Amino acid sequence: MREQRRKDAVWKFLTYSFILVMTLGMMVPLYWMIVAASLPQEEFIRFPPRLYPGTEFLNNLSVLHEETQFLISIWNSVFIAVVYTILSVLLCSMAGFAFAKYEFRFKEPIFYLILATLILPIQLLVIPLFLMMAQIGWTDTFRAIILPWLANPIGIFLMRQNMKSIPDALLESARMDGATEFQLFYRIALPAMRSSLAALAIILFLFQWDLFLYPLVILEDPGNYTIPVALSGLEESRRINFDQIMVASSLAIIPMAILFLFLQKQFVSGILAGSLKE
Amino acid sequence: MATKRSRDDHLVLWDRFRYARQRLTAVAPSVTKSQVAYLLISPFFVLFGLFLLFPVVYTVYLSFFEYQGIGQGNLFYVDFGLFHITFPQIAELQFVGLGNYTRMLGDSLFWQSMYNTTYILVIQVPIMIGLALALAIALNASFVRFKGAFRTAIALPVSANIVAYSTIFLILFNETGFINYLLSQVGIEPISWLRSEFWARKTIIGAVTWRWTGYNMIILLAGLQNIPQQLYEAAEIDGASRWEKFRYVTVPQLRPVLLFVVVLSTIGTFKLFAEPYVITDGGPTNATITIVQYIYEEAFVGSPNLGYASALTVIFVAIVSAISIAQIKLGGEE
Repeated sequence: MREQRRKDAVWKFLTYSFILVMTLGMMVPLYWMIVAASLPQEEFIRFPPRLYPGTEFLNNLSVLHEETQFLISIWNSVFIAVVYTILSVLLCSMAGFAFAKYEFRFKEPIFYLILATLILPIQLLVIPLFLMMAQIGWTDTFRAIILPWLANPIGIFLMRQNMKSIPDALLESARMDGATEFQLFYRIALPAMRSSLAALAIILFLFQWDLFLYPLVILEDPGNYTIPVALSGLEESRRINFDQIMVASSLAIIPMAILFLFLQKQFVSGILAGSLKE
Repeated sequence: MATKRSRDDHLVLWDRFRYARQRLTAVAPSVTKSQVAYLLISPFFVLFGLFLLFPVVYTVYLSFFEYQGIGQGNLFYVDFGLFHITFPQIAELQFVGLGNYTRMLGDSLFWQSMYNTTYILVIQVPIMIGLALALAIALNASFVRFKGAFRTAIALPVSANIVAYSTIFLILFNETGFINYLLSQVGIEPISWLRSEFWARKTIIGAVTWRWTGYNMIILLAGLQNIPQQLYEAAEIDGASRWEKFRYVTVPQLRPVLLFVVVLSTIGTFKLFAEPYVITDGGPTNATITIVQYIYEEAFVGSPNLGYASALTVIFVAIVSAISIAQIKLGGEE
């Protein structure tokens, strides 16, 4: 009995140590980012480095702002991701509603065609999309970044699965009361789907926010860069130093991290929903 | 005068809008249910066809050609009376048959990139899944306190932008960076992380693992919570040890989720691009160039070999699809 209790104590100790070490490991890069972003240049290159934050964050930020157009990139990224998310959620929920609650010709084959494209990696589309955009003169525009990804297969799949749970009787009784088909969609279906819409919005927002290869190819003018494209260029430009690059990384990471802390439930359901591709 | 005219125009426009709206409202009740369905799916399907189906077909087509420049002429022109549509030729192409595919066989950089990608994959995925599973089990244990706080901290990297976190790792693993400082504290000589083939690959593996372990932990944790508690209680009554409970209850019950996480991570690592692009730039001497990075360089750096890059893409997609289909097959057995 005492033997068992000692074993349990050792196990608990090991479990806690493992969790603590991993948590620390996850925090180190983020902590180091903040330290590096707030040090003056002389301190930054010193070895051994200083291990606690300095007071130069705003100073580094103003150098970053003077030497690069990074703050504009933040606006570009937010603008693109927000417009994309709103339009795509609307498009996917409309189509998902049709697939869940209406009968029409070729419904099954069309749905399975959309489902089949889920396994295609999006890198596949970069070359043909680049050529198409170059041909119609859309390179270096935001619409070239937003439009191609609006018809998102994950979005329509999720919306169809969830819209199926709306009872047909509810829709029928609304029809009896004289509601038009469009009213059924935006008065009944959309409000009933609030939590799935939030999860989908997070999936789509993060998708666009993290999109890198495609905007790297499409965008040319630094004034149009999104955050990932601008960040990848900072290091090569050599006009600013590592501590200023870390300020830029902080600006890219900290707002999303705060959003994650507040919307954790939605993030988790977004991750689980996005992973449930059957 | 000018202002007045524009105000009138405005009024005319408004009247037209009201008229159109009245017409629509008058027609609305007579719209049948299937017509509504078509209206609801058509915006999605137009974009889907234009920006997904067509590009997929066009990539395969392009892989049999050599790219010579952006298209100059028009393919065809349709006149609808009120308006017309012209279909421009997308690119000037020269047919080379299977030339792009045979070129691949003798392209040492292609094989190098395949080798690098596989090398990173084979080491990174087991480490990450192992850590994610261990964390999920630890955070699912009944005696652990502050679960929510730990879970949040470990999952926090999920919110980090791919390029932003890559620049952090670039600086962490710098010659005079924090990691080398830590090593010096325990008496280890500084390591040239990004200048040695061996360590550059390990740095990439470490970075990807940092970003995605929490993501996989969340999925596995949800899977663990779906295992019926009675199974563990029954095992306990039978006197099962901790290891036996893991081996005979957790693993079989979690198998579908585990399999899914493995395939998702395998595909994710196979598509690696931003991390080697930012952290090592594919170096040193192409030791970390990945397949997607090689496609990018063939297509968009230097002379645009878009035909050859398309052939590379076709092979890349074939491999990714094969992994996905294998997953569906394996998962279907359950």
